[in-house]
Amino acid sequence: MTIRKVLIFTPIAVILFLLQSYFWVPTYEQQSRGNPDRLNEYITASIGDASILNPILSADSASSQINSLVFEGLIDRDEELRFRGRLATSWEVFEEAFFYINESASIPGAGTARAEEVVDFLRKAKKNNKVSDPRLKACLDNIREIGLIPPREFLVIKREKDLKNSKKEIEVKVHGRPPARVKLTLTAVDQDLFKNLTQLLGETYFTSFGGERYVSTDPPVSKEKLAAYAREFVPATEHNPILIFHLRDNVLFHDGHVFDASDVKFTFEAIMNPRNLSPRVADYEPVKAVEVIDPLTVKITYKRLYSPAIGTWGMGILPEHLLNQEALKREALRLGKDPEKFSMRQSGFNRHPIGSGPFVFQEWKSDQYIVLDHFNRYWEGPPNYKSYIYRIIPDPLTQEMEFYAGTIDNYGVQPHQVQRLKNDPTYQSFSGPSFGYTYIGYNMRREPFNDYRVRTALGMAIDVNKIIQYVLYGQAEQITGPFVKQTDYYNHGIKPLPYDPERALELLAEAGWTPNKEGWLEKDGKPFQFTLITNSGNDLRKAILTIAQDSWKQIGIDVRTDLLEWAVFIQERVDKADFDALILGWSMGIEPDLYQIWHSSQTNPYQLNFVSFKNKEADELIIKIRQEYDHDMQVEYCHRLHEIIAREQPYTFLYVSKWTAILDKRIVIKEIDDKGKVIYKKIEPTKTGNYTFYFNKWIKLPEVPTFALEG
Amino acid sequence: MNPEPTLEGPLAPRKTRLQESWHLLKQNGLSVLGLIIFILFFITAVIGLILTSGPDPVFDPSLVRLQEKLRPPLSKPNLETLQPDELPALGVYLFGTDDLGRDTFSRMLQGSWVSLTVGFVAVGISVLIGILMGGIAGYFGQNHIYFDHILMVVLLFAAGALIVVGAPSQGLGLLALGLGYIVYSLWTKRISEKKVLPIWLHVLHKKAFSVDTLIMRIVDIMLCFPSFFLILTVVALLPASIYNIMIIIGLTSWMGATRFVRAEFLSLREQDFVTAARALGVSDFRIIFRHMMPNAIAPVLVSATIGIATAILTEAGLSFLGFGVPPPHATWGNILSDGKRFIFDAPWLTFIPGFAILIVVLSFNLFGEGLRDILNPKLRERY
Amino acid sequence: MLSFIGRSIIQKIITLFFVSIVSFLIIHLAPGKPSQVDPLNPKFTPEMVERFRKEFHLDKPLHVQYLLFYRDLFTGKTASWKDNQPVLRKIWERFLNSLPLFIVGTILTWTLSFPVGIRSAIFRGGFYDRSATFFSYLLISIPGFFFAYILIIFVVNSFHVPVIGMETFGIGDPSWFRWFMDRVWHLLLPSVLGATGGIAVLSRYVRSQMLEVESQDYVRTAMAKGLPPEQVHYKHALRNALLPFVTMFGLILPGLIGGSVIIESIFSWPGMGRMAYEAILARDYPIILTVNFVSAVLVLAGTFISDVLYMVVDPRIRL
Repeated sequence: MTIRKVLIFTPIAVILFLLQSYFWVPTYEQQSRGNPDRLNEYITASIGDASILNPILSADSASSQINSLVFEGLIDRDEELRFRGRLATSWEVFEEAFFYINESASIPGAGTARAEEVVDFLRKAKKNNKVSDPRLKACLDNIREIGLIPPREFLVIKREKDLKNSKKEIEVKVHGRPPARVKLTLTAVDQDLFKNLTQLLGETYFTSFGGERYVSTDPPVSKEKLAAYAREFVPATEHNPILIFHLRDNVLFHDGHVFDASDVKFTFEAIMNPRNLSPRVADYEPVKAVEVIDPLTVKITYKRLYSPAIGTWGMGILPEHLLNQEALKREALRLGKDPEKFSMRQSGFNRHPIGSGPFVFQEWKSDQYIVLDHFNRYWEGPPNYKSYIYRIIPDPLTQEMEFYAGTIDNYGVQPHQVQRLKNDPTYQSFSGPSFGYTYIGYNMRREPFNDYRVRTALGMAIDVNKIIQYVLYGQAEQITGPFVKQTDYYNHGIKPLPYDPERALELLAEAGWTPNKEGWLEKDGKPFQFTLITNSGNDLRKAILTIAQDSWKQIGIDVRTDLLEWAVFIQERVDKADFDALILGWSMGIEPDLYQIWHSSQTNPYQLNFVSFKNKEADELIIKIRQEYDHDMQVEYCHRLHEIIAREQPYTFLYVSKWTAILDKRIVIKEIDDKGKVIYKKIEPTKTGNYTFYFNKWIKLPEVPTFALEG
Repeated sequence: MNPEPTLEGPLAPRKTRLQESWHLLKQNGLSVLGLIIFILFFITAVIGLILTSGPDPVFDPSLVRLQEKLRPPLSKPNLETLQPDELPALGVYLFGTDDLGRDTFSRMLQGSWVSLTVGFVAVGISVLIGILMGGIAGYFGQNHIYFDHILMVVLLFAAGALIVVGAPSQGLGLLALGLGYIVYSLWTKRISEKKVLPIWLHVLHKKAFSVDTLIMRIVDIMLCFPSFFLILTVVALLPASIYNIMIIIGLTSWMGATRFVRAEFLSLREQDFVTAARALGVSDFRIIFRHMMPNAIAPVLVSATIGIATAILTEAGLSFLGFGVPPPHATWGNILSDGKRFIFDAPWLTFIPGFAILIVVLSFNLFGEGLRDILNPKLRERY
Repeated sequence: MLSFIGRSIIQKIITLFFVSIVSFLIIHLAPGKPSQVDPLNPKFTPEMVERFRKEFHLDKPLHVQYLLFYRDLFTGKTASWKDNQPVLRKIWERFLNSLPLFIVGTILTWTLSFPVGIRSAIFRGGFYDRSATFFSYLLISIPGFFFAYILIIFVVNSFHVPVIGMETFGIGDPSWFRWFMDRVWHLLLPSVLGATGGIAVLSRYVRSQMLEVESQDYVRTAMAKGLPPEQVHYKHALRNALLPFVTMFGLILPGLIGGSVIIESIFSWPGMGRMAYEAILARDYPIILTVNFVSAVLVLAGTFISDVLYMVVDPRIRL
């Protein structure tokens, strides 16, 4: 009967056909061990795909990882986390400071002075060697040049909200004719310059300047608004830090085009272009101007003191010739799209990037892989690996299996797997502290968290070491404050809170919380009860949630827990400050800028100081730190700030987790010494815990080498 | 149910329906097995609820013993590092411990209740909606909806939307208009049977479509969504909670029940006993619930039994993708998906819940299959 | 006939319209907003978030957003929020990736189920029937990902061949034949896994349909006449049992999108389901909505095809 036969034999045939294909598939053995080409490839696995391969537009970690290989910035950080030149060979930082002549103020010993007189006065003071105050002396010695800018006039048009109709905007003409201005060129940035100069010019010389006098508007505006315009356009004093980069000669983009200063300027402009919607605008907002001095020199002027700004120049530099206005227009016309609406976001460049980094983009198959080849004409010499491949494998378990089979070299290994693989002779393992910490934050707007004793007690009741030991398999370190632990901003003198439930109970008793008959803590008949929340999808936080709940139950606190989906968690609870306590993590930059997370001005809804930490001394230090360009001074301020935060315990700082990595032992560093001899070295993480620092020198060998020269 | 008269021998004593069913069920060994496991699971779940809840449960599923993490099944607890009240109730970790040192056996016990609740509530919701919608479509399906009804509903909805969006004045205006129209139409109906309307308003009293069409189109619309994808979307966008998951699974799976009930009602409506009841002046409500529902419920029961199994599987699938029932509730689904990270280190965390789900879902399915056979009169006469 | 088709198409379009409204509302009324801009990144200022909202039209009233979205969709201009790629092209690529899985799975399901189900029906209550029942339910009842893991670990550990992805990674430049066979191999596990559930369900359905038909008089007559049983079962009975399957066959089209999320994630298969899932995670509304819309179109197309087929097959319906 034909129907029956068809129905039975078709599936059998299909299955047999599927099964026979087994004989044509290369086994793992053939792919990884028996394949010599495999040694020249570095394959890493990721759970998610990249989204946009353009360093100024990408915001996700997968894209950033690829971008960091394809593109290169002016500078980066070396083994000690100091800045190191990449596309820039060297750079200098100095300052231009300005102040307006205060025509009405009287200078001690000179009376009211006109512009030229003030300049002469300062020049004289600088020459005078008998300045008593050493700080003033240092300040004056730091001044390289004193100049005068004659009075000028300006007209600016501002768009403002109409007071009567909040939806409409009106134009306000701001007209100003400020007096002459003194320009001081400093050798090094000095945030205390004007404070010191008051010793010479009089206590109120700068504060009594009164910029409103020189500004008028059409139509007239309120007094506060006028003062705001005056602060904006006629500030009594102004710091303009200046950064000059000297660029590396003969650096090529992957298409052979020579890199020069105009690419730097272009990259900056692309970030600031509102049409590009770059997520990095905030980093570059303090920049006043980027000027090309010559093809190998670029000058960046800042509007104000902002020391973390230097680090932002690690941003990958885009090739201007491929993305400028004309190039985009041509692309738009080629694709038949409206050139007016076509922005860099739509450009095909983002899926086929060209940079000047060590690896050249080859191929991207969405949700499968991204292939990069090494760049033969890379200025530092091509990396040893011939290609870098980024595979996307969404399932952690299949990642693990591919790793055992040798078809990937690296994957997001979990702590418990490290524990198991550490002793395996085929693998080498690395770990080091990362740049992020996990904490429990308390909403200090609410009772009883506004009492530091309660916060401290809650912290003491949690055995952080136990969490580290058992939940993280030791892959974490306890932390006491908000700075990156491997930098010197971190104050190692501060001891972590001890695990001491008894002392915690004492502290709580001091704050008025005493156990009732059933053992629950009470104050004025009200039980100690609150809800601890965190986001779902993070197993570690979930575990901490459980442990914290359990630990606090032990001392008689009734804690409820809630796991919320990320977007809801952020938008409904964190942004609106609607929580008692939460578990969250911050990933930090190396720069010690704590303004957004810890400054008291950032406690409004949607701002990041959602625990509402307010401390006057801390506020001052935070401002000082972000204005200080001198490393040692910064460190000093940071240590003091760290102490304050550790004392106040706005967070229970839990731990900074360690990143972990497992690599095949056959992956080593290959170097060629002066005599042309090849040397193999074991991969060692740098002091700051970066094992991929020498990635360009890595290579995989057929056998594990014996490191004879070690020692 | 078996009208065939047998001529030879004495008539067999008449069995009750239940006895007959039981007899039929016994023929099918697998279904009996399914039923037994079903009952066992039910008992376990109830016992699990009792033993794992309360302030001081016998089996504490949330007790964290970090030093005892990932202990294999049947291992003895380490007496030195544990407080006396931290010891597991049976003196051994029957199913081992998980990555936080929680006793997997306690968690499985707790999970059995939660999984059962998820299944039952979700299916309960879907069956309720299904019966309601199917009942209306089947019984009142021939009634028509007039254009003025539609207009009214649109008005009221628009009013509601406007009020929610933040234009209360216009919203209240529309609301008043809608309510006014209702009052007006009730009044015209009550006072004057004759419709005295201007000619252009006659269109309002035209028949738009039948209730049946309306409901079946809603069913069609719902069927247009790929169900797992829809559940996933909604669960991902809503805050994760056990109730949301139950409700969403319920709200996305009522279409089958609706169709069954409607089909049954359509055929039952025409049967003599319904006509007789109607002739006696029995109210619609009573006809539906007393006379028709018991006859229509059979296929719904079968699909509900299988629906519970599907709901448990769906929950497990959601857990796998990270959208399942959030802690502190343990479900078998989330024990399994949490455990899969440790499949090489602690395979029991994957296999115990995996097989538990397999067995329970299998038992529901087999029992449902048996139930279908029992309730299907066509197949019954074969015996 | 033509009027039936016309009416049916109009009805489907109306349904589609409502589906588009419902799916749009579900996504836009749910709490939580697109997280293209990470609100917890200290570098995102509220102005930036506002600018993103403007760019994506999120600041407009809902009905305007709705019109804008579907206008873009029909003019083919919708672009993913995540990477600015045109949505339709993305979906088409993924569709091509999912297609082989779908085809192999469908062939297996729609061939294997029939002999299994029919045999069960013929030997109702026998050992074969019981074991087939048991195994089909076993396959329905096993959590898909659990089964997939067990299979993967088993295959990898005992045969040492890759099963992840669409092809062996880094296979280099093999002959086209080897390349082809490699792809076929990678199809094996996911498509078989995808088909198991289908086979189990469908074979149960075939069985019950056959049972209905087998008790009919004409089957008895045919048997009594002495026709070979095979011919009776496969020709007389099967033909008449087939009718309801016409409806089901129309409904397999949407299977292209729905149930494959988990399998595709586990096997790193860059298909439709996984793209949809990742879009949900990233709250990439254009992709979610478009996938939803496309799947609704597929469902409606499927029902339409089955309606027409029904009419062709069943003379009673031909009006």
